[in-house]
Amino acid sequence: MQSSPNMLTKFESKSSRAKGIAFHPKRPWILVSLHSSTIQLWDYRMGTLIDRFEEHDGPVRGIDFHPTQPLFVSGGDDYKIKVWNYQTRRCLFTLNGHLDYVRTVFFHPELPWILSASDDQTIRIWNWQNRSLICTMTGHNHYVMCAQFHPTEDLIASASLDQSVRIWDISGLRKKHSAPTSISFEDQMARANPNQADMFGNTDAVVKFVLEGHDRGVNWVSFHPTLPLIVSAGDDRLIKLWRMSDTKAWEVDTCRGHFQNASAALFHPHQDLILSVGEDKTIRVWDLNKRTSVQSFKRDLDRFWVIAAHPEMNLFAAGHDTGVMVFKLERERPASAIYQNQLFYITKEKHVKSYDFAKNVESPPMLSLRKLGSPWVPPRTVSYNPAERAILVTSPADNGTYELIHLPRDATGAVEPTDVKRGQATSAVFVARNRFAVFNPSTQQVDIKDLSNSTTKTIKAPAGTTDIYFGGTGCLLFITPTHVSLFDIQQKKQLAELAVSGVKYVVWSNDGLYCALLSKHNVTIVTKSLEQVSTLHETIRIKSATWDDAGVLLYSTLNHIKYSLLNGDNGIIRTLDQTVYLVRVKGRNVYALDRNAQPRILEIDPTEYRFKLSLVKRNYDEMLQIIKTSSLVGQSIISYLQKKGYPEIALQFVQDPQTRFDLALECGNLEVAIEMARELDRPNFWTRLGTEALAHGNHQTVEMTYQKQRNFDKLSFLYLATGDQEKLSRMAKIAEHRGDFTSRFQNAIYRGDVEDRIHMFKEVDLYPLAYLTAKSHGLTEEAESILEACGLTEDQISLPTLEHPLKVAHPIVPTFKSNWPVKAAGHSSFEKALLGEVGAADDEAGADGFEIEEEEQEATLARETLDDDEEDASGWDMGDDVNVEEDVDFVNVESAEAGAGSSEADLWARNSPLAADHVAAGSFETAMQLLNRQVGAVQFAPLKSRFLDIYKASKTYLPATPGLPPLVNYVRRTVEETDARKMLPIIPRDLETVANVDLQEGYAAMRSNKLEDGVTIFKNVLHTVLVNTVSSEAEVEQAKKIIATAREYILAMSLELERRALSTDTPENLKRSLELSAYFTIPKLEVAHRQLALMAAMKLAFANRNYSSALSFANRMLANGGSAKLLDQAKKIKAQCERNPQDQIDIDFDSFAEFDICAASFTPIYSGSPSVSDPFTGAKYHPQYKGSVCRISDVTEIGAPASGLRLFVPSQF
Amino acid sequence: MDPFSAEGELLNIHSAFHSGQYQNVIEFDTTALSPENQLPAQILKLRAQIALGQTDAALAEPAIEEDTPDLSAVKALALQSAGKTDAALQLAQELAANYSDNNTVQVLAGTVLQAQGLGEEALALLAKHQGNLEAVSLIVQIHLQQNRTDLALKEVQAAKRWAQDSLLVNVAESWVGLRVGGEKYQSAFYVYEELASAPSTSAPLSIVGQAVAEIHLGRLPEAEAALSAALEKYPADVELIANSIVLNVLAGKPSEELESQLRQIQPSHSLLTEIQEKSELFDAAAAKYSAKVSS
Repeated sequence: MQSSPNMLTKFESKSSRAKGIAFHPKRPWILVSLHSSTIQLWDYRMGTLIDRFEEHDGPVRGIDFHPTQPLFVSGGDDYKIKVWNYQTRRCLFTLNGHLDYVRTVFFHPELPWILSASDDQTIRIWNWQNRSLICTMTGHNHYVMCAQFHPTEDLIASASLDQSVRIWDISGLRKKHSAPTSISFEDQMARANPNQADMFGNTDAVVKFVLEGHDRGVNWVSFHPTLPLIVSAGDDRLIKLWRMSDTKAWEVDTCRGHFQNASAALFHPHQDLILSVGEDKTIRVWDLNKRTSVQSFKRDLDRFWVIAAHPEMNLFAAGHDTGVMVFKLERERPASAIYQNQLFYITKEKHVKSYDFAKNVESPPMLSLRKLGSPWVPPRTVSYNPAERAILVTSPADNGTYELIHLPRDATGAVEPTDVKRGQATSAVFVARNRFAVFNPSTQQVDIKDLSNSTTKTIKAPAGTTDIYFGGTGCLLFITPTHVSLFDIQQKKQLAELAVSGVKYVVWSNDGLYCALLSKHNVTIVTKSLEQVSTLHETIRIKSATWDDAGVLLYSTLNHIKYSLLNGDNGIIRTLDQTVYLVRVKGRNVYALDRNAQPRILEIDPTEYRFKLSLVKRNYDEMLQIIKTSSLVGQSIISYLQKKGYPEIALQFVQDPQTRFDLALECGNLEVAIEMARELDRPNFWTRLGTEALAHGNHQTVEMTYQKQRNFDKLSFLYLATGDQEKLSRMAKIAEHRGDFTSRFQNAIYRGDVEDRIHMFKEVDLYPLAYLTAKSHGLTEEAESILEACGLTEDQISLPTLEHPLKVAHPIVPTFKSNWPVKAAGHSSFEKALLGEVGAADDEAGADGFEIEEEEQEATLARETLDDDEEDASGWDMGDDVNVEEDVDFVNVESAEAGAGSSEADLWARNSPLAADHVAAGSFETAMQLLNRQVGAVQFAPLKSRFLDIYKASKTYLPATPGLPPLVNYVRRTVEETDARKMLPIIPRDLETVANVDLQEGYAAMRSNKLEDGVTIFKNVLHTVLVNTVSSEAEVEQAKKIIATAREYILAMSLELERRALSTDTPENLKRSLELSAYFTIPKLEVAHRQLALMAAMKLAFANRNYSSALSFANRMLANGGSAKLLDQAKKIKAQCERNPQDQIDIDFDSFAEFDICAASFTPIYSGSPSVSDPFTGAKYHPQYKGSVCRISDVTEIGAPASGLRLFVPSQF
Repeated sequence: MDPFSAEGELLNIHSAFHSGQYQNVIEFDTTALSPENQLPAQILKLRAQIALGQTDAALAEPAIEEDTPDLSAVKALALQSAGKTDAALQLAQELAANYSDNNTVQVLAGTVLQAQGLGEEALALLAKHQGNLEAVSLIVQIHLQQNRTDLALKEVQAAKRWAQDSLLVNVAESWVGLRVGGEKYQSAFYVYEELASAPSTSAPLSIVGQAVAEIHLGRLPEAEAALSAALEKYPADVELIANSIVLNVLAGKPSEELESQLRQIQPSHSLLTEIQEKSELFDAAAAKYSAKVSS
């Protein structure tokens, strides 16, 4: 007989024979009525007995929960039906009427009715609200074993030992008892004249069908929840399936298999299955459509009497001779595997699908695993191999099978897999790129197999191993009921073992450093070498877990998502309304699979655990960030911080003054404590503050608290202790004023004021003391006068021996002037971070400035420029008038067949006409030839570092056989290419880097007025572009623009540098200076930068009374637009210049003519006059400079014949 | 039974040696080994010492003077590593002539011959091997160094037919893969990644392999992560440093510090010598050009 590996028992109770079972519709409760007269209420999730109800006399057979009210009903062999309230735990009332055993009792799904079946051959309907019998159905002529309401229609099914099943129509009863408001006339007539009365005159319930087919008594009957189907179980050992229409009902088929009386049968609420139990000690599952046995489960000794299904969840309960078992037919955990951003999972239809976390899309089905295992058994696990794009699926069917399947490249639908490798095992996981491990519990053996499914290695698993998991590359984790061990496959040795009991799942962190071992109620976090990091316990079942990228474990229980830090700190993130299996956390989203294998995204608030994580890591900046950006409040976080010893951080969250005060005292932050004490202003806060301040040596605060508390004695003592004589005498005055003699005495002693003391003694008539005091201090005169006042003489009194009076010591250090800190009230690093942040924000502005001369306004100017830059960053004027001519006539070096023995570097030089590729190949001579021909390069020294960099980056060193030099491999930019004729080297610093990094650095140098640096940077840009390659025509254009931009900036900066080097003491120099500043405005800089040049030129011209020039600069500035301040200045100068538009000094600058600047002489070349240009940069020169090295590039020869720079060969791509 | 096979007791020491865990090899406890495996284990230990540069220690071992072909071959390798190339060559050639069917001789004498530039002679010796995987791996390397990727590929494919699971064959296949490129880069990466991440095989050798594969795949940040993590662990590994230099240049980062580090540890590294050579070549070539008019 086939036993079922899939029956998952969730709960078992031990008791006497269980005859009736009922699931609570919402709570995890089950009622069990026993043959021993007891009714038990169990929590099957926690496994605890909640309550017992013992009022029946004799066996209790029928039991049912009310669907909504806190009620249940029971019926027993004492003929009684009892209705109970489980909240008050009392029997509310008893319905009497049956004349024999009550077999079953059920509540109606909506109406306040109870249906009972009895051995007195009747079926009765009771109204539990008015506690009356409303209908008695007669017709069966033997015991009625079972009667049930139809879930939606007005029907009842009953089963009887008279071998029949009857279907009753109770619509009449409903009409009769429904609210009278809507009764039509016809209804009233019908009710008045019952025309369909049965032989007892009963029209409320009439027999609709009698189903005959069982050869013996029928024990049980159930309706299908949605279809017009009925199932019955009888003493003829048969389960019969019936179908009904409106007019008739007939037998569909019989399920044969039970070899003893069948006790009960029901339909699976969601699947096409029938479940039945019998006295043959089996639970059987049948296919509803084929009526064949799907699986069965046998108990050794106990006969089954009853079965019930949970109304919503995938749970069943069966009652037998020694108790009850709650079970599931199948696992609901969908098999899934994750690789990077992809989740692979198996749906309920057994389709393999993937889910992309980055795009949040589900793929269409990729494969159908319909043939895997048996049809009713879902696959248990799936393991994914990215290198081979293969999956390994295990199914518990047939004692465990696995299949190795390659996924199709594209998901095209649920195709049947081809080329499937399969075998016997309960677990199978990939352990390496081309290896997987399968575990067979019967042999306790792990086979390491290659992708052709042949065993390459066999490992004996530790005794008692139940499961295996991936244990990091080349390793396996063996799970036994009490231990987990880490095993190195290659060395065949156990690396570590840890005693953790009942591990069911293993979840690795994304970086592979940690792993969480999930047991039923425990999570144990271990390192990759299986050292325990922390462990935590849950009272409720733990379902799944996944790791956050930051190393926080998120796990789900039956009803919560929780987190755990590595140190074991944990907390709840959110509640769950249904069980889900977490697969991934990304930001605020948790990805999970639900029990229907649908991916779901749950929103969470990660603030709390992120905060705690940064606290643990002491990442104060992030904590600040969290505090600032999120509303992280609540008692839990405060007490957490306090518990962890971070009161100063907790302080940042609290508003409540009292808590703030407490925390401030705890962390010794007196300022806050004082502030809060003032706010609260209650004595006990002042006392506590005083004590704390005293401990800190902060006596000024202590003084204040004493004052607040009017604690004069303590104040006096404090003043004494701090040596504040002045205040002490004030205290004496106060004491006198208050008439407090003790205090006055004390103060007098503190101050050493003998007179005052004597005076006081006299005032209170303590003459003897006054005399003694005077006498002892040698104030004889005073003593005499006291004696006199008392009418005594010296010999009448006897004095004790006088010793020297105590002198009050004078304070040496004036402690009272400032505090005497005894306890460092240091700021925590967190507070420092808080303070530091405030400081950093202040000096952000004005970090760099563009200063032309030492004029004040320039600073503002620079700042405005800075703003401008940010405003219109897209407005770079690249200057597009340079057309470096493309020379396509270059003679392509014949690419010879890749001959044996030539290195790849040699091929590169053959494959490409580009100089950069020749450089990478190490063929510097040919590279130079090419550059010379293309752009007239003659002076190569500035390119040396570029050449060597390219060469350095061209190959890697792979160590191979020890004793031999490393294998050299050449790095390609054509990564995909394997054709030797098309391989090309990688060139570092591509155009994108030049544009995004180098060029921006140059602009920054311009902005911050570091012109020498700027020239160097832009020249470097030119050199980098000169020896480079690009990948498209568009990039060629971009390269040309970069060259032009660099040229203009180098020219402009050189002009300005030249001007600054000039002293303006001679008139010629002044003229030259004015000219250069005017030329500075000519190069095509980015607008914001050109405004700088114009501003400088305008000011210089204005200062030297060249109003006409200044005016033209101002006009140009105004035409360019930009920031208001800049334009204001231009407007002002324009207004002034317009009054007298004359130039004091005549300069060689015609603002209306078109001209270029000669980059060597820095003089204008007016259009039409002869000039030569540089073949690489396109810079213009006066003809006399022809043949010399370009001042802009430092490499190329001015006016040299050149074919133009080549960076790109279309055929290469 | 082959002592290096999956069931053999030398498996662990053997794979530790070939994954570059030389220190582990030296510390390996060999007392429990059966007598016939003592010699191979000793040879592996000596070779590990040589690989770690402890040639003097290796030459000082009394066993190395024993007159067996195996130990003589080790001596030849030690001499070669110690820079006594003439003596090494003489010994290697002698061994190659007399004991060409000895596995150790094949591999070690072959190494010495190849190191001295006698590739063809080395190949001739190695060709006599019978199922010696180390010889196969050496043949592959020699072919690669001679830029005969086609022959190397053939050799690997032949070996895969009878020793698919071997670490040596897998690695040799990766060497070839890194030459061939395209999809083979990724396969090579997987092999090295697997080695680098498993505790039993993780060593500079495998990490460098992984990083090199990533450089070739154009995945610079990943390569950088692997190399910088490894450099912290093994700061003096020359190939780690050399490849870090390459990576830094590719990523546009300064590499001077690493270069001076490499110069201290191994001034004869080909990266340094070639750069020096090329620098001189540059100056010589550049000197041929000058502007018509000097300014």
